[in-house]
Amino acid sequence: MGGYGDQDMVNDSAQLYTIEGISAAILMLVTAYLVISSSTIITPQETHITDMQLEQLGHDALLVLNTPKEYGTPSILYQCIRDDPPPHSGFNAAFNAYFTQLLNTRIFSGNDSLHFKVQLYHRDHSSGEIQPPIDFTSDGVGYFRENAVKVTQWVKMGSDASDPDLKDKIILVEALIWRS
Amino acid sequence: MAKLNEEGQWIVMMGFIVSIIIFILAIIVAESALVGKTTSESVLEFPKTDIQDLRSLIFQLKSNDWDDIVKQSYKEDIQVLFFDRKNAIVSYYNDSRILFIHYNNGITSYNEMHEEQY
Repeated sequence: MGGYGDQDMVNDSAQLYTIEGISAAILMLVTAYLVISSSTIITPQETHITDMQLEQLGHDALLVLNTPKEYGTPSILYQCIRDDPPPHSGFNAAFNAYFTQLLNTRIFSGNDSLHFKVQLYHRDHSSGEIQPPIDFTSDGVGYFRENAVKVTQWVKMGSDASDPDLKDKIILVEALIWRS
Repeated sequence: MAKLNEEGQWIVMMGFIVSIIIFILAIIVAESALVGKTTSESVLEFPKTDIQDLRSLIFQLKSNDWDDIVKQSYKEDIQVLFFDRKNAIVSYYNDSRILFIHYNNGITSYNEMHEEQY
């Protein structure tokens, strides 16, 4: 069996060449895998993936602020809307700080660059129409047609709201969030 | 004329096999981007958070001893805002201790019957 010069198709000559072939194959496989996996092309049509992540993050952040710390106490979002006086300045400092922190904090150093604009929608009870949105807060960065998502929360305002237009209403909090 | 060299056929065959494997791997990698795209599309299309938020709001209203559930101004607030801002038709009402919730945005329809146990 075997030996140099046998005419069988399988013999034990040129084993080094075989080993070289196998190792070359592994090398090529690893190289091709590295090259292909390191370059993912995201075309403008494929923003769904980042949109989905942004929407999940934004909704979670807004939901955290709309959740009371203890049963029977108002949430941070409720407190901020309640304490925002009627000629709404468009910049609620307290809410701005909380929302910026929740959106932009990273585990390691540095902050993310998410920006937002939050508006309040409510219905006028005598006319039944939706009123123009109240600019609640924004981080002051202009929106220049970046890819944005909208997340919402519902707040049931009590009679202690400082804006009489919002008293005893269900209002919709809309946040536009984008990365730049 | 030189005879055809028949040595190294295993190496040649390995070359073929490896190139086929690379081709299949490339197809799998190309598929993965498509899978991520279609998955995120369907996640975005399904109004999961809308329905969760609506339920949470209605159960918050119910916690006040059903008084807020029957309050017409709250119901109209929710219905008008949902229709205008979120493109969905919603409705809720209670039959003594049974609460009905409906949500429809034209693509997804959600109906719930919740019976309060106490």
